[in-house]
Amino acid sequence: MAGIGFELRKILKKNTLFSYLEAYGLAAVIGSGPWALSIIALLLIGIVSIGRIFPTDLIIQFLVMVTYLMAASLILSGFFQLMLTRFISDLIFQQRANDIVPNLVGCMLVMSSLTFTAGFGISLITELEQSIEITMISGLVVLSNLWIIIVFLSGMKQYYKIIFTLAAGYTIMVGGSLLFPTNGLLGLLQIFVGSQALITFTLLIFVFREFKFQRLVMFEFLDRKKAFYSLAFCGLFYNLGVWVDKFVFWFYPDVSFNVISIFRASYIYDLPIFIAYLAIIPGMAVFLLHMETDFAESNEKFYDAVRTGSSLDDIYLYKDKMVMDARNSLYQIFKVQGITLALLLLWSERILQLLGIDLAYLHLLYVDLVGVSLQVLLMALLNVLFYLDKRYISLFLITLMMALNFGLSWLSVQLGPQFYGYGFAIAMLVSTLIGIAFLNRKFARLEYETFMLQRS
Amino acid sequence: MNYRSIGVPHQSDVSLMLEGTYPYVRGGVSSWVHQLIQGMPHLTFYLVFIGGTRDAFGDAHYELPSNVTGIETHYIMEPEASAKPRARKVGQKAISQWFNVLSHFFDSNQPLSEEEVDYLLTDVAKRHGFDRKDFLFSEESWQVLIDLYDLYAHNQSFIDFFWTFRNIYSPLFRLIEIARKLPKTRAVHSVSTGFAGFLGALTKHHQKVPYLLSEHGIYTKERKIDLSQAEWIKERHNILDNSIHRSHEQTRLMWITFFEQLGRTSYAFADKITALYEGNRQRQVTDGAPAERTQVIVNGIKLSRFDQSYQQRPEAPPKIAALVGRVVPIKDIKTFIRAIAVCASSDSEIQGWIAGPTEEDEDYFHECEMLVRSLNMEHNIQFLGMKNVAELFPQIGVCVLSSISEAQPLVLLEAMACGIPCIATNVGASAEIIHGMTDEDRELGSCGWITNIASPDKIAGAITECFHPDTPWQTLGDNGRARVIKYYQEETMFEHFRQGYEELISWQG
Repeated sequence: MAGIGFELRKILKKNTLFSYLEAYGLAAVIGSGPWALSIIALLLIGIVSIGRIFPTDLIIQFLVMVTYLMAASLILSGFFQLMLTRFISDLIFQQRANDIVPNLVGCMLVMSSLTFTAGFGISLITELEQSIEITMISGLVVLSNLWIIIVFLSGMKQYYKIIFTLAAGYTIMVGGSLLFPTNGLLGLLQIFVGSQALITFTLLIFVFREFKFQRLVMFEFLDRKKAFYSLAFCGLFYNLGVWVDKFVFWFYPDVSFNVISIFRASYIYDLPIFIAYLAIIPGMAVFLLHMETDFAESNEKFYDAVRTGSSLDDIYLYKDKMVMDARNSLYQIFKVQGITLALLLLWSERILQLLGIDLAYLHLLYVDLVGVSLQVLLMALLNVLFYLDKRYISLFLITLMMALNFGLSWLSVQLGPQFYGYGFAIAMLVSTLIGIAFLNRKFARLEYETFMLQRS
Repeated sequence: MNYRSIGVPHQSDVSLMLEGTYPYVRGGVSSWVHQLIQGMPHLTFYLVFIGGTRDAFGDAHYELPSNVTGIETHYIMEPEASAKPRARKVGQKAISQWFNVLSHFFDSNQPLSEEEVDYLLTDVAKRHGFDRKDFLFSEESWQVLIDLYDLYAHNQSFIDFFWTFRNIYSPLFRLIEIARKLPKTRAVHSVSTGFAGFLGALTKHHQKVPYLLSEHGIYTKERKIDLSQAEWIKERHNILDNSIHRSHEQTRLMWITFFEQLGRTSYAFADKITALYEGNRQRQVTDGAPAERTQVIVNGIKLSRFDQSYQQRPEAPPKIAALVGRVVPIKDIKTFIRAIAVCASSDSEIQGWIAGPTEEDEDYFHECEMLVRSLNMEHNIQFLGMKNVAELFPQIGVCVLSSISEAQPLVLLEAMACGIPCIATNVGASAEIIHGMTDEDRELGSCGWITNIASPDKIAGAITECFHPDTPWQTLGDNGRARVIKYYQEETMFEHFRQGYEELISWQG
């Protein structure tokens, strides 16, 4: 998200109450990720479809299958998201703007063949109707590419394009499921995948229209000398790490049930955690706003000072400013997410009642709310580490989070219902605390590492 | 210590430290080294060549004489196979000594002490001591860098300091390794200070052998001139920085004090230090050479080459003044042209010949030609290109050297060997050559005139006087030849070095 800061700063310069709302709103939408949007959209489809689709089980099947699509596409595209973003910002730094689109297309080709192969492989064991299998495979390919384009366009500061396209796409999706004649599970899936494809291709048209290029395809982003594979694994493991607790619950027989074919869901775990994820929106907005404006700016100034021949005293000064901004950003996130968390904890019961959800979920929702709030902090920490180019520390932290989330979630399932959710929350807590310790150390040794351990 | 009695076969009698010269570069020093080795067939030589980067040097230009037992070639500025940067730790003791050594390179008033050189040889550039990776990547080394920055470059551009620091001190690790691995030798001889001279000092201390340092120019001074003209030292413009030249100057200063220290330590460890002429010897003493170990050993020429030319010399001087040298600014050809123009205004017969390659600095050559035309001297001045001096000198009346800088100009000796009087500017060894160095030498009489630099009138006056019928032209020339015969024969020079080697080796052995 290298570029969002610029746009946000531009909005903030206007310095009106509305400009602040606009900035926070933009940050919230971009930051919480399109998948917060998709949770809302799916909830809407679910609600819209009730009473139109029979039996109601089909709606559950649809939601579960889409959730798997989301999970698989985010995890698989995670491998390329960070790596491609970094590669493109390096291209921009080298003033090779013409090579950006070819590499994006190359990445999407690789992504498509990878996800197609994966989807085809899975379809061999699913034994679903062929038309559903084909729709699912298309969905996987389309969604994975969509995430890549969105990451790319965020990097290129095309926020409004993303937002308007997404909004239009999801409106069509909800409208479609409302208007089109019902065709059971296949129909719902087709509408979903179709609208995702519409969004993807619309964004792709923007890309081809807005950016100059001379060749259509390049695979330079895979070049081991120029690409950072550590970032690829950061992206892959991060997404795997935030999904792994769900997989544990889906595939542990005592807490899950079979929905359709091999797709399972957890009747106790799923609903609270997806509701909880909507709670990160304020935290993410603050995170983006502060990280991408204040911190990004002071980070840039620090490295400028290093590059352009400032004295060591000045470099120290810029570093102190950067550390202060990082601390302030984290503190703001902590504050806003903390208030959000406190309010939601107070209102949890009423929210569940409002959504007509069994109060048995209440305790789990509490824990999940804490967990996702910590996840926002962890993301912020990782973001700072990426800015400082501490890729291996980040990879370590992400791998730790993934391992803890898997191990502790599995343990919580063994220990019984009162421990559900703690695996996820504790994994996030421990990773966040260790992340803070790492960041502290990295900041203390920043000049030393910047100068002495740079690759010449 | 008596090495011969230990019974270990010596790989060589003399290890020659050669920086940027023989056998990969042609030139005065290189041919001198070649002659020296050939002139001492009874000794064996081991050559250590030190260059900056590989691409600056081509193939060897000389066939190594048979008494060279081996040669090793090192390019110390060549980037090494880069180790992956990893944080590492260094012991406190090793690092404080390292700090002390480096301080001497920033504040070059004192040479490195024996203990410090000992520390370099025993602890530095070793796996379990303080190696290059420790230098590049350790946190303690970073602390040393910061401390030195605060002490000597406070408020200067840190990134420039950082890179200069790395560039300067990385080669030290190579030098130490070279010194440690050098085959056994009975004496070390370096033909310059700088890296080669420092390597000589390290080797002397490591192998406990005598060390001879013979300088042609003054290495440290030459480096300073290079640095003052260097464009690779980046200028950084900073609006907030009230002095634009500061970082520029700081980088330059770091290099200068570094070379000064290399020189100072070279001088401090050398047992015998020679210079080509008295001026340079004094300069060495100013730069830290202990006066009692310094000595002037002049370069010589092969006299027999000029015997025939001397026979062909006419009775009276042909009215031709010749400048033999490359057409480049340092030779100040323009002053010579103006001097001829002044002479020609009173005697239009006087000719000026310029013999030497013109292609080295074509712009300068062009300027010289324009000057000749603008002074209407086309009929009096000729550019001859490269000429065999043995054939040229019998045709001329006086040899002129208008240079603004020289060391010990051989061309004067060659003219003198042919019995031709000389006029030279007062640079380098010119006055010693023309008037004599010692009292005994001076008794042989003068063989010409010494003038100030950039004074066409003075040179013109000398030329006119030289061609005046009352001037004992042949006597002047004979004085010169007598001086060459007595002091400036190649054989005499070799004899000095032969004696020098013998003295040092036997004194130690």
